[in-house]
Amino acid sequence: MDLNALAGCVSSSGCLVTQTSSGLIVGLLLFLVAAGLTLIFGVLKVVNFAHGTFYMLGAYFALSTYQFTGSYLAAVAAGCVGMGLFGIAFERFLISRAYGTNVLMQLLICYAVVLIFDDVVKMVWGADFQSMGMPPAFQVPPYFIAGGIVPPFYLVLIGVALAVALVLGVALAATRAGKIVRAAAVNPEMVSVLGINTTLLYALVFAVGGGLAGLAGALAAPVRSLTPGMGFSVLIESFIVTVIGGMGSIAGSLIAAILLGMIRSFGTIGFPLFTDELIFGFMIVVLITRPTGLFGREVV
Amino acid sequence: MAESSAPLPPAPSRKGRGSGAASPFLLREGVGGGVEAILALLVLAVLWVIPLAIPNAAFTDLVIRLSAMGLFATSLNLLVGTTGLVSFGHGMFYGFGAYSFALLMQDTSLPLWAAVLVSLAFSALLALLVGAVCIRLRTIYFAFVTLAMQMLLHSIILSWVSLTGGDQGLRGGIPRRFILGVDLSIPRNLYWASLVVLVAGLLLMRHVVASPFGTSLRMVRDNETRAAFLGITIWRAKLTVFVIAGVFAALGGMVMSLFVSGAYPELADWPLSGQAIFAIMLGGIGAFLGPLVGTLILLALNDLVTRATEYYGLALGLIILAFALGFRRGVMESVLVQARRRWPRVAGVRRG
Amino acid sequence: MRTMDGSGLRRRTLLAGAAGALAVPRIGRAQQNTVKVGMQSIISGAIALLGTSSRNAAQMAIEQVNAAGGLAGRKIELVVRDSKGQPQEAARIARELVNSDGCEILLDAEASSGAFAVQEVVRDLGVLCIHTASETSSLTADPKIRVATAFRCARQGVQDAIVGGGYTAKQATARKMTRFATCSPDYAYGRDTTKQYLDFIKHFKPDIQVIAEVWPKLGQPDFTDAITRLIQAKPQAVFSLLYAGDLSSFVNQGNVYALFTQVAMFNPNMGDYPVLNAIKAMPQGSYSGVRYLETFPDTPRNKEWGEAYRKRFNEYPTNWSWQMATAVAFLDAAAKKAGAADGKKMAQALPGLTIDSPFGVNGKITMREDHSIADYAIGWGNTVPKPPYIVDIQPGDWGEITELETEWKKKNGYV
Repeated sequence: MDLNALAGCVSSSGCLVTQTSSGLIVGLLLFLVAAGLTLIFGVLKVVNFAHGTFYMLGAYFALSTYQFTGSYLAAVAAGCVGMGLFGIAFERFLISRAYGTNVLMQLLICYAVVLIFDDVVKMVWGADFQSMGMPPAFQVPPYFIAGGIVPPFYLVLIGVALAVALVLGVALAATRAGKIVRAAAVNPEMVSVLGINTTLLYALVFAVGGGLAGLAGALAAPVRSLTPGMGFSVLIESFIVTVIGGMGSIAGSLIAAILLGMIRSFGTIGFPLFTDELIFGFMIVVLITRPTGLFGREVV
Repeated sequence: MAESSAPLPPAPSRKGRGSGAASPFLLREGVGGGVEAILALLVLAVLWVIPLAIPNAAFTDLVIRLSAMGLFATSLNLLVGTTGLVSFGHGMFYGFGAYSFALLMQDTSLPLWAAVLVSLAFSALLALLVGAVCIRLRTIYFAFVTLAMQMLLHSIILSWVSLTGGDQGLRGGIPRRFILGVDLSIPRNLYWASLVVLVAGLLLMRHVVASPFGTSLRMVRDNETRAAFLGITIWRAKLTVFVIAGVFAALGGMVMSLFVSGAYPELADWPLSGQAIFAIMLGGIGAFLGPLVGTLILLALNDLVTRATEYYGLALGLIILAFALGFRRGVMESVLVQARRRWPRVAGVRRG
Repeated sequence: MRTMDGSGLRRRTLLAGAAGALAVPRIGRAQQNTVKVGMQSIISGAIALLGTSSRNAAQMAIEQVNAAGGLAGRKIELVVRDSKGQPQEAARIARELVNSDGCEILLDAEASSGAFAVQEVVRDLGVLCIHTASETSSLTADPKIRVATAFRCARQGVQDAIVGGGYTAKQATARKMTRFATCSPDYAYGRDTTKQYLDFIKHFKPDIQVIAEVWPKLGQPDFTDAITRLIQAKPQAVFSLLYAGDLSSFVNQGNVYALFTQVAMFNPNMGDYPVLNAIKAMPQGSYSGVRYLETFPDTPRNKEWGEAYRKRFNEYPTNWSWQMATAVAFLDAAAKKAGAADGKKMAQALPGLTIDSPFGVNGKITMREDHSIADYAIGWGNTVPKPPYIVDIQPGDWGEITELETEWKKKNGYV
């Protein structure tokens, strides 16, 4: 425990800026993954344990596209769109067969997909860890803002993630498709009775969820190591975010993800040895006091 | 016998394939406890002499591991199949049992049997604490909190290096592996000991399932409101079975700890819980021996596939997919259904 | 020989009946012709690369031994198994290799907990085993854990720490650095070894201060929090034990913050090809230990071996590769000395044995009486952004290593 260091940081503007921005970048990338997870659960009541695999494949798609085209933009697009399509295939061919069965069957299917694609990645891309490398446009020195350090690349990532959050929020709140999704989350039979094609709707939800996870993987590919099995730790973290924020609540997962990022970035200063236990403990307390998460609704 | 004293035996479900997996119909309530015990002793006797007739180390090792994982999976099914409590973190008790037992053996001078008893008591206490927090949560949230608890335990084991050795596990082996003068560091002795533990554990758990208490648990599973209305205290029933399941999982962990002569953080990690879930699905949630059969298949599969290929994950994943999309019903359930069709008098359900 | 075999067979047939007659003589013949060596490692999961690089090296080395006539006249048959990094699997596989597959010797390329699990199996079975991956010193140093037939052909944490400590102190003195921070993975290896390094750095340069410690989790995808924490502490140098994928993430993410233009990093683990290939912009002016490079030791034999490996497998060898190759070389030498490919006799022949090796600091490596190796190439150098990535490599002095290691053992109550 080093509370003096924490107090010292909070009272210095440079430290505040640096740590806040680093908490934001960790949190917002996590949000992109968690948003898909929570959306899928909200609408379909499916806990997609294969979500980390979407993230991993997004990163690998991006890596190959980048090596082929040299364009980071193309790489990100490939990761996002590719995983959107993958999400549809996953929903149609696999997980849709387990709708209405118990949660264990869904768990098994997801577990199988995780195992299979970790090995597929190993076959296609090799067992060693790889990295994309920073695109030349971002190979610039970091900015100094109020004494704090903020890398331009991360500013872009924060911008993209916030834009996605905004679009997602607006789309859910104001568009027709968004209203259908929200209605389906509350009462799928009614939506179906009203003549809406739920098959299409469910595929769409998985497309968006997969696309978001792929986007996160692709965006992070320049700075994170790519290895088979890299989706696992991301899955665990986004899972924690979803549970804290409330399964099914996009706003909840945004807030929880940022919270988690902040716990990490300020936690490494104040209590470097206990950040993980702190996060697990926090999750347990939330679940016990508010089983539906901070912003979730009761789901049966 | 036991069934007749139950307050209200569940009506056997006659529904079709889809819901058959969760129905009490398949819980083999027909054969009396005495017959089962005799059957179990027969099987025990056969297995007992096998290593004397055909010495094969791979076989004895397989049975030792089956004993550990089988107890663990069967205890999980007390929660999942019998009570309808889907726990994702049951492995925490398996790991806790392994660690508490190994630590007691290494750091105290307790004899083996005492270390087993003390660490079973610790495990019961842990299960009581965890259960008290978790059991009132509903379905998916119960699953999450148990998983989170296991992750917490795993991360404590990794962090508390001075006690647990962190990621390197408890090193230096387990000393004084003697019970009743038998040296368990000799694999064949451990094989016999594991057999006894497995059979005794299964009979005890079978007794729980077949007792009036087991009937109450199935009523809780099928309809909590109705169960409460009939005078069952839901939380007490759930908490009791949670503790019982935790204790048997810990027992399995101790067998594994003896097998590896130590304890390692991987024994408390959540993929093990996932494996147990797959084992009970594979073997059949609705059959008492389902989890054991599932575990056996899974272990044998593991041993064969890792010999053949380095793409073990791919192979196992495809098998799981084929199972989840194709069969859906556990191996033992299918066997029981077939058996009932052919020999209704032997395998059929005798109503209480 | 043939007639003796024949008469033995006839007598056994009479004694043991049909089943025995079919099985026993076959095993008898097989044992004379080949010797089975079991190798186990982590061939799937996040560090599968290290496992496959061990397997490759074992194959290559065993082919050489077989081409030269085999292990005391018996050809080696390699049996490889994947433990998936699970200690309970590692223990099971070790037993299965010996008991079911008939392996007489084990090569164990398991990391941390796996190696300790195998060690307990070796204790129970009394089989000859060489660990080729575990770097935790206590495996061979602690008398409670040591086993008569278990050896280690791998770097050791404490030896690396002595050389790294001396080198770090020297560079710190030259660049007038006293304020250090640490950034190591939060688990037993990370914590223990970081402490060892700091002890030795302070031994050589007592005025070093550690002003901040950061402990990221193993396999953590993002190190931004650790990096900004380091920036806040404003150290002159960072000591880090991160390795493999975590290390390349850390360096790539540190570059985003221009971390390494402000502080020098000391890391024992950068000098391994998989890391070097994955770090896209190697920082200038940091320092690293060499785990395996074709350029250190800078001899034709080492270069030849590295090139042969690359040609054969189309990838670079790793630290685990040379350690495995060395283990096979020791098996060969021990069998020659013992005059038989017999595990027990070889285990007695191994202590004190010296072999010629491309990886020795002076072309030779010795198996010490404490069952671990000495005189292997161990050195530190400067990092540069272009190949060969690490230059000005200064080898460690084995006289000093041995002296300080003995002191360390005494302090820990191992002697």
